[in-house]
Amino acid sequence: MQRRKFLSLGVVTAVSTLLPSSVSATDFRVEAPASWEAAGSAEAVKALFGDIKPIEGQIKIKAPKLAENGGAVPIGMKSKVKVTTVALFQDANPRSAVAVFELGENGLFDIKTKIKMRKTANVTIVAKGIDGNFYSQVQKVEVSIGGCGG
Amino acid sequence: MKVKAKLKKGVVGVKVLAKSPMVGKEEAEKKKVDVEFITHITARVNGAVVFEASTGPFLSKNPYFQFAFTGANKGDKLDVDWVDTNGKTAKKTAKIK
Repeated sequence: MQRRKFLSLGVVTAVSTLLPSSVSATDFRVEAPASWEAAGSAEAVKALFGDIKPIEGQIKIKAPKLAENGGAVPIGMKSKVKVTTVALFQDANPRSAVAVFELGENGLFDIKTKIKMRKTANVTIVAKGIDGNFYSQVQKVEVSIGGCGG
Repeated sequence: MKVKAKLKKGVVGVKVLAKSPMVGKEEAEKKKVDVEFITHITARVNGAVVFEASTGPFLSKNPYFQFAFTGANKGDKLDVDWVDTNGKTAKKTAKIK
């Protein structure tokens, strides 16, 4: 954790000398490789954020009650809480992590994307607020046809 | 890649449709194709990062992203670029409408 903080500080300094109003560019695939290999959401969250106690009930997940095409399940996530990082996990594929989003200082927590889900499973969103707290939300998404191609 | 950015009541809403098969290792083995998926996508306005995503193969094929931010004006340029597992990159610039 300490090392990551130190590294990201370094990135901020390096980037800010070029672009004064820029925020850091973080590649979480490089920074937290273990979280991309974890099979379960709980494990992946721990590998990415450490041992956290997230607050529930602040994030709204918008997903279909029954997804007809598991190859592209629309997932929307939204909150009034100001956050820096939003991570999306699911338990329907061999590995849990789908994407980690980072918002600039003017970024709003209002993101939509489409994911693969080969079976009915939980979708987990974990976000890191600018207040330093973690927020999370879990929602079950039912899938009628598998879409992982596997 | 398709990028649309629209300013409405001070909030810029962006829609990005990237082009990639998003094939992970299990799918690659089964279909006998190479692993190929986007690993990182970045959006900048006037050089400042407004949104970025580290991504894995469980996003849909030709992944779609929708996000929003404030603090930009009509006519500002939004640059979106991504890189995939093979180091291939793509870049697209859209004017905020």
